[in-house]
Amino acid sequence: MDTRLANTWRLTVNEKRFIETALSSGIRIDGRNPFEYRKLSIKFGREDGSSEVQLGQTHIMGFVTGQLVQPYRDRPNEGTLSIFTEFSPMADPSFETGRPSESAVELGRIVDRGLRESRAVDTESLCVLAGKLVWAIRIDLHILDNGGNLVDAANIAALASLLTFRRPECSLGGEDDLEVIVHPPEEREPLPLIIHHLPIAVTFGFFSSESLLVIDPTHHEEAVMVGKMTATLNANGDVCAIQKPGGEGVLQSVIMQCLRLASRMASDITKKIKDAVETYNTERALRKIKRHPTSITLDGSVNLKEKLNEPSGHNVVNELSRKHLEKPRLASAENASSPGNNGEGESKSSNFGRSSRRDGATSNFVGGAASWDPYSRGVDSDFLKASLASRGTLTPKKKQQDPTGERKPNESKPEESPGDVIPTTSAMDVSETGVHKGGEKTLKDAVKPKHKRKKKAFSSTADAS
Amino acid sequence: MEVDRADGRNPNQLRPLACSCSILHRAHGSASWSQGDTKVLAAVYGPKAGTKKNENPEKASIEVIWKPRTGQIGKPEKEYEIILKRTLQSICILTINPNTTTSFIIQVVHDDGALLPCAINAACAALVDAGIPMKHLAVAICCCSAESGYCILDPTKLEEQKMKAFAYLVFPNSILSVLPEGSSLVQGEPMEHGIITSVTHGAMSVDDYFHCLERGRAASAKLSDFLRRSLQSKLPGDLSKAG
Repeated sequence: MDTRLANTWRLTVNEKRFIETALSSGIRIDGRNPFEYRKLSIKFGREDGSSEVQLGQTHIMGFVTGQLVQPYRDRPNEGTLSIFTEFSPMADPSFETGRPSESAVELGRIVDRGLRESRAVDTESLCVLAGKLVWAIRIDLHILDNGGNLVDAANIAALASLLTFRRPECSLGGEDDLEVIVHPPEEREPLPLIIHHLPIAVTFGFFSSESLLVIDPTHHEEAVMVGKMTATLNANGDVCAIQKPGGEGVLQSVIMQCLRLASRMASDITKKIKDAVETYNTERALRKIKRHPTSITLDGSVNLKEKLNEPSGHNVVNELSRKHLEKPRLASAENASSPGNNGEGESKSSNFGRSSRRDGATSNFVGGAASWDPYSRGVDSDFLKASLASRGTLTPKKKQQDPTGERKPNESKPEESPGDVIPTTSAMDVSETGVHKGGEKTLKDAVKPKHKRKKKAFSSTADAS
Repeated sequence: MEVDRADGRNPNQLRPLACSCSILHRAHGSASWSQGDTKVLAAVYGPKAGTKKNENPEKASIEVIWKPRTGQIGKPEKEYEIILKRTLQSICILTINPNTTTSFIIQVVHDDGALLPCAINAACAALVDAGIPMKHLAVAICCCSAESGYCILDPTKLEEQKMKAFAYLVFPNSILSVLPEGSSLVQGEPMEHGIITSVTHGAMSVDDYFHCLERGRAASAKLSDFLRRSLQSKLPGDLSKAG
């Protein structure tokens, strides 16, 4: 008991008085306005359904996982959603492991109420076999750093990870259609959850003077405030939940003011979350551009076709659904032996870089045939690197034939695809990023000698054609 | 022997390392260490008053809390906590602050093989960030040996599962000293040839084990370099951290 007292952090009387006096003149100790949120940054991890949210100094990670379980008896058609909050001792020296403290339970309940009772997550779509098997979605929120206002940040982390979570697709099979087959992500693209709206929690802190009110209190302000209120609203202006757990009484007018402020904040934050999820989804889609595991020449044409289709960008998702290939991984590739894989890896990564450079690239490529050659070379070096990595020096000849093989589909494509400008720019895009990627790859050394050889081969074919 | 590793590395090649310190504001020291896709976050809270019941009050004690990514804390997590605690006990100077507890909290962000070595490395970096006095740092590495006898370093999760046996090895880091060679020898061998911790899974022959040790020791020099470089570039820590 002594040690616990010795170890708790207490705010000194001076600090308390300082914060209160500053607030009465509308100044907050970190320089914000009373109705201003701290800087919010939302990042995503490697896997689907993992998010990392930083709200000022508060740092929270959310992980979403799904499992097939039996449904509750009274709801045989609905999946379940459960939220586990971990007040990690990492976040605050006063947090302990073992039984969750009051504030941990309260946080879990607020986030849960916002998501479940407002029916933000569609649980009926989580049903696989009525009465037998449903998806149980589990959200784990890890509080890493307590900089104040854990509720809001935890809510955002939960929403961000739910929006990026993908569950495997299931289908019914076997005799009588009673057997459930879960398709692994390599076989069929996993599906996102259906989320109807985003309930955003906004926390207010009340201080001892009548109308002193702040949004998003830091943990120093939390130690000084005498009451707090969390309003969960969505961007449509619906109030999903309000939580005011005791504390100082406030006027009705103040509550109404809070709700109005909260609805403004909610639309801001919703926009930020949606933007972050958009960027993540585009990145993910690009990462998933799949590779053909067959021969090199086929790779060449398939790659180019993919790359040509890429610039239509908006159709990326359609491309994915059409092509049933495997998901490449940037760091550790799972698909082992096929030599085409490395080439694919590179072309995929060149696609990756490509979308970001697409806009810049188009302006560069208005030039004519004179600028074509050096860039087209880049594409070949990709394949060369690939074959070198996997097969040693056996394939230089094959590589030489490749550019010719490539050139032909390359040249024929412009006629086939609708619109001449797009295919040419995309091919050039690819080539340019091919060179760019060449710099980043570890086989940089291998690239250079091949570069020269390819130039000769290419220029000869160029001359010929 | 040519080994085909899924991500194209050769048997002695480590995954790309990344280390960042002082990422948390409340913790006294924090570091995040990633080896390829495996990422671990470690936080240290410096000496707190009092020790637990069965700890020796004449020395400082160390407490480790391991937080898995999802799910309940079970036996594997408890085992990691114990191993980490013993490793850290051997590198921290325990006689400086008796009757205190230093807490380590390890959070797994992503597990793609070699999780325990990653955690040990992260904990060391967090210790430096917190400014807790130590005898020397530790660098940890995972070596696997396959049926045909060859040994590979720093496996990914898939490789770990495929291998016959693997070992987590922790070595002291290599010393960069202005003193002459002789002073860092322990019984005639340089100190960095010692092993702090070795945890093995699966059965491997004695020769294979020694082979792994050699490889691991060689790689630990690279790890020490990386650790030194990334820690040296930090400015003197933020003094306003003590909450």
